[in-house]
Amino acid sequence: MKQFINVDSLTDIVSNSVGILIILAVVSLIHDNSKAYQLEIPIEHQSELSPVFIIAKDDSLIVLDTDKIFTNAAMQATDGAAGGKRIFPLDYGQLFGQIDDDHGIMFHAQDIEGSEDWHHFSTLEKNNSGLQQQLNKIDPKKQFAYFFVYDEVGESNISGSGFESFRKTREYLKMRYIKSGWKPVDSDNPASICDVSFSPLCKYLPSYLGSS
Amino acid sequence: MASRASRYARYLPEQKLEVSLFPFLSIFLSVMGVLSFINILSSIHSPQKIEMATELEQGYKVAFQMFSLPDGIIIVPPVKRLKDLQQVVTDADVRDEIATIIVQREQFIANVKAYKGNLDDFAVAPDVDHIADLLKEIRFINEEALKHNFLYEEFILFGIYPNGGKAYHKVRDVMALSEDAASISIGLEPLDANWTLNINGTPTLDAGQQGAQ
Repeated sequence: MKQFINVDSLTDIVSNSVGILIILAVVSLIHDNSKAYQLEIPIEHQSELSPVFIIAKDDSLIVLDTDKIFTNAAMQATDGAAGGKRIFPLDYGQLFGQIDDDHGIMFHAQDIEGSEDWHHFSTLEKNNSGLQQQLNKIDPKKQFAYFFVYDEVGESNISGSGFESFRKTREYLKMRYIKSGWKPVDSDNPASICDVSFSPLCKYLPSYLGSS
Repeated sequence: MASRASRYARYLPEQKLEVSLFPFLSIFLSVMGVLSFINILSSIHSPQKIEMATELEQGYKVAFQMFSLPDGIIIVPPVKRLKDLQQVVTDADVRDEIATIIVQREQFIANVKAYKGNLDDFAVAPDVDHIADLLKEIRFINEEALKHNFLYEEFILFGIYPNGGKAYHKVRDVMALSEDAASISIGLEPLDANWTLNINGTPTLDAGQQGAQ
């Protein structure tokens, strides 16, 4: 047996619902496209804190164990492998090193996939993850985090390859009262560690708001 | 009696308009489905477009913004509070010099605003002399503000777009060798490619300033 119903109330409901949905869709589209954003304005400050260096690339991060890296680099230099600005393996996080008078020791991160020393930034949300453990070792009274952030971008991406991981990690560190600083790097201007006596560019400063 | 007749009439079989429920429900659900689909698609494929303000302050520190793009840099100088500084300056020569800076800055912003094309077209490769002049200008303003006990300090805020690091490094190389840059504070923030600058929020060249020119 066929069921019949009066048409008036139904058309009313249908037209109202459709109208509201269309309005909502239009409003949300307009609203999304004109969101104003105030840039955060952290300013670099001179500091007595010592930097803990981190490289951010392809949504992953590596906390540099400088003792280990410098030991490995010194061994390579002793063997002559690091002479003449030659690029040599650092045996750490699939990084390659290069020694230069102006930049000190430079780090080339090429294919980082599969390395255990690199951590995806999403692991920050997992309790006691490798990345969390390394970041938690930073003492906010003595140290700050300094990021070398890759700004190179893939074709379908709108963000630098290290931007998102840097932003998320900076937020995590901020909650732990750890200051951070950063600079963009790429294959032509790789991450480097040197002493300020080499060049005035060898400065690694934390950036924070004046009120922090 | 009339009321009894009307009551009777109410129960008379009438010719009701009857329709099947199915096509209406079908249309309703189809429209809802399509709209939800469009909404989900738009949220996935067109990430939020964010507009950034042109005048930024942090207390008495005012940002002289430099946007670093793959093709070069776009400079967005502050004007609003510089006019306040101009008012408190007593020395006529210095006041005229600040007025000239204000006019130049407003003229530049007016040109950018008038341009209807892509804002990226305004990106210019960092030129050593140009950067050195800008640093000198910022230092001059900051020193005058300090001299006049006026709470105002310009600092350079770099907005780094993807692949914009090369231009940034060129500017920092100039700054590293400049004495004028030694006293200028610096900030830097990473920006995504779809974050645009809301240039319409900036003040325009007003008639008074044009007259002074």
